Amino acid sequence: MKLRSQLSHGLKNIFRKKQVEVQLDDEVRSCVEILTDQKIAAGMSAGEARRTALVEFGGVEQVKQAVRDHRAGAGIELLWQDLRLGARQLLHNPGFTATAIVTLALSIGANTAIFSIVNALMLKSLPYAHPERMGVLFMRVVGSDPFDRQTALDGEQWELLRDNAPSLISALSGGTSGVNLQAGPHVQYVHDARISAHYLDVLAIAPVLGRNFTDEEDRPRGPNTAILSNGLWRNTFGADPSLIGQTIRLKGEPFTVIGVLPEGAVTPSNADVFTALKPSREGAGEGSNFDAIVRLRGGATWQQADAEIDRAWAAREAGFASKNPGSRLTFYSVPLQKGQTQELRPKVLALMLAAGFILLIACANLAGLALVRMLRRTPEMATRMALGASRWQIQRQLWIENLLLALLGGLAGVGAGFAALRGLLSLLPEDYLPVASVTLDARVLAFTLAVSLCTSILFGMLPALATRRLDLRSSLASRTVAGGDRLRLRQSLIAGEVALTVVLLAASGLLIRTLIHLETLPPGFTSAGVMTAKASLDDARYRDPAAFRKLLDETTAAMRQIPGVENAAVGLTLPYERTLNDGFTLRDGPNAGKQIGADELYVTPGYFDTLKIQLLQGRVFTAEDGPTTQPVVVVNRSFARKFYPGESPVGHTLDKGAVIVGVVNDVQLSSGLNPIAPLQSEETVYIPATQFDSKLLAVVHTWFQPSWVVRTSAPVEGLTQQMQRALSSADASLPFSGFYSMSGLMDKTLAMQRIEVALLGAMAGLALLLSAVGIFALVANMVVQRTREIGIRIALGSSVHQAMVHAGAPGARASAAGLVTGLILCAGALRVMRSVLYGVGVYDAATLAAVVLVLVSVTLVATTVPTLRIARIDPATTLREE
Amino acid sequence: MSQNQTNLLQGTLDLLILKALGTGELHGLGISRRIEQITRGTFQVKPGSLFPALHRMEEAGWLSSFWGESENNRRAKFYRLTKAGKGQLGVETEQWQKVSAAMTNALRAT
Repeated sequence: MKLRSQLSHGLKNIFRKKQVEVQLDDEVRSCVEILTDQKIAAGMSAGEARRTALVEFGGVEQVKQAVRDHRAGAGIELLWQDLRLGARQLLHNPGFTATAIVTLALSIGANTAIFSIVNALMLKSLPYAHPERMGVLFMRVVGSDPFDRQTALDGEQWELLRDNAPSLISALSGGTSGVNLQAGPHVQYVHDARISAHYLDVLAIAPVLGRNFTDEEDRPRGPNTAILSNGLWRNTFGADPSLIGQTIRLKGEPFTVIGVLPEGAVTPSNADVFTALKPSREGAGEGSNFDAIVRLRGGATWQQADAEIDRAWAAREAGFASKNPGSRLTFYSVPLQKGQTQELRPKVLALMLAAGFILLIACANLAGLALVRMLRRTPEMATRMALGASRWQIQRQLWIENLLLALLGGLAGVGAGFAALRGLLSLLPEDYLPVASVTLDARVLAFTLAVSLCTSILFGMLPALATRRLDLRSSLASRTVAGGDRLRLRQSLIAGEVALTVVLLAASGLLIRTLIHLETLPPGFTSAGVMTAKASLDDARYRDPAAFRKLLDETTAAMRQIPGVENAAVGLTLPYERTLNDGFTLRDGPNAGKQIGADELYVTPGYFDTLKIQLLQGRVFTAEDGPTTQPVVVVNRSFARKFYPGESPVGHTLDKGAVIVGVVNDVQLSSGLNPIAPLQSEETVYIPATQFDSKLLAVVHTWFQPSWVVRTSAPVEGLTQQMQRALSSADASLPFSGFYSMSGLMDKTLAMQRIEVALLGAMAGLALLLSAVGIFALVANMVVQRTREIGIRIALGSSVHQAMVHAGAPGARASAAGLVTGLILCAGALRVMRSVLYGVGVYDAATLAAVVLVLVSVTLVATTVPTLRIARIDPATTLREE
Repeated sequence: MSQNQTNLLQGTLDLLILKALGTGELHGLGISRRIEQITRGTFQVKPGSLFPALHRMEEAGWLSSFWGESENNRRAKFYRLTKAGKGQLGVETEQWQKVSAAMTNALRAT
């Protein structure tokens, strides 16, 4: 009852304010009049009666204000008043407001964009049922050569895991590769993911039509079956529901369609079609080529699962321990999300840290600006306090203004963050992030709101603390306020932000140096004038080595016929790409009997000529090196140096009697053997395509799509169409998946480094900009505050130049202090970057010199520009003022 | 106004206003005079305290107001107790008597 009455009155007080006010005024006035009447009746004169009545009443306005303060809804009313006053104050000061909002928008926007990636990668739950019960398998080695990473399985490990870990539903993926799908007359290049029987069970995805693979279909030499993605089923097969049970031609063979995935179903591979992996201890199962994914069965725990994994693979662990005394190998499960993002996490967290730096820098700037603004408003506040405003009211007003500013900045920040995120995602290569989409969801918006509130507290604290010591009398008396301690405070803020900027600049400088190093490595071949194209030979027709040889012969011959083409060749892989790794035994030479690992690829005779890879010794392959002639190989310079130091490898033999006939120059590639850098050259064995192991051929073609390479002397009109025609002339149902220039391949390999440079560079640039604004504002403010002092100095004989130096010095000193602090911070902080730097040390003198140079020039500009005003100061006018 | 005027205890003002209106409707000044009268001059309620209290009690639903004519034909805002106000008067009277008796006993004890 009481509450309802108060609520209705409160609403009336707020929304029908005018009426309420008129009534209050009437009531008070009538009271004064009644009192006056009584005084007159008691014998006073009219004027005296009114004066006495007013005195006795105690002030009409004060009584009315007392009523207003106690009325229902007074708090909201006051808040509204303060908000309006705050908004007016901000509008009065458009320079300050715009600077603050742009600063906040940029810094909050950067944080919003990076956080939405953190959110998508690490916080949002995966798009599967009960993702917390899903996991991947890790291998940990403790000892002299520690290692802790996701592990790939071989066929033996898979069988042991499948049969001895009852707590888990286990499944394998053999990777995704391009295959040819024939639908009607057309052949399409689609992505095929090879998965084991229970893979979709682990993901908890049930086909919308048909069923998952059975164990029978996943056995070696089991029937050929396929499950289609919803997109392929719709786009290529017109969403035909009777497709289940029918046969499609995939990889040159008939496959029975047994299922179609539901619309929007997300799988880690995002393939168009799924075929049974049929894992065994042979073929691909001889090496660690399978990725496992597991789901915990109901009632089981991860501890049980880990114990079972440990038992299943105990023999392998024991074998490792006996070969590597002092080291211990263990396998264990890791939650899927953590396992999937293991590589990205440190990078994303580093970016989050950089974004946090930006926020701190922005707050330091705003705190400085807000402090100056506060000091300028001291007389106003002193007046308000003299008129009866409490300290609490003044503080409240300040905080409300800060909050308003932070919320406006946050709103602008969401917009900036959205734009930045879209830009960022367009930079990333396809399928780079292991999540389907990155969105600004409720969690991101909540984060942005929290960040905005934090900033308002961070930059509002300083001015609020400063007003606590406001002395009424002295503030009213003097019109200028310039405390030395406030300058010191602002200088420390600037120094702090410059220090953080130095760290960001140095970090991005090192990444730029890394990228330059990688891009300017001697490639070992000539990339200009080369066009490449890939086609899938994971095809039943090309398991026959004779058909494979015929295809290569005919297509390269046809491509050489294209006018303007100098040479054409085929290779399993190209420079910059990841290669196949294989094991060899050295039959003779200084390391005779040694088993080694090396990169391996088959090439046609024209490969070295087409790419212009220099021959150093012996010969390259010729058309005479055929399937029945003496097996030969060509090795690269790294191979020769490492295994035949000080002598020529030509004439030495590897296993199966293959004779080394030539040595070629090293090329840059993306290592799968011993990756220590994104691009490097390592021991490589080239094998003639005609002599490549026919058993291995089919397996290798499920992993790699070989490349056709042509060299032209000048740009050729319609080259790609003519290349496709040349391929079709040999096999009408073989499409190229795409065409790439060599620089395009290099860009693809170095995409990660480019993104790192772009992101950290953008952050460092932003930090530099904010610091420059901070220094500029400090000096500009000094000039304004000290106009009078400078006028006196000039009047007393100081030159304009000296006065400029005097005014700019505090900014320069703050920046110098920040630079020194930043360099000290770099000494500790940059060490964590060691793993992403190539060709440049952590303490790179050139980078640090560049950072110092950039910072010094920016400081010079930021301190000089605002002091240019001094030249226009006329001592006479300045001194006459006040 | 005398300096040594007895200060109103917290909550006393509400009770005094309710009591003053217990005998019938009054305008603001009338309430203040009536309080002075029934407390025999001990409490003089200033307009700065009275009016906020009246508005607050009206918002709480204990009082209702209307415009009427004063004794010398001036337009004035009159207040009277609502049903809830009469109930509140009973509740607060009882509470006050309890407190008063307790205080008297406490001060009498040796």
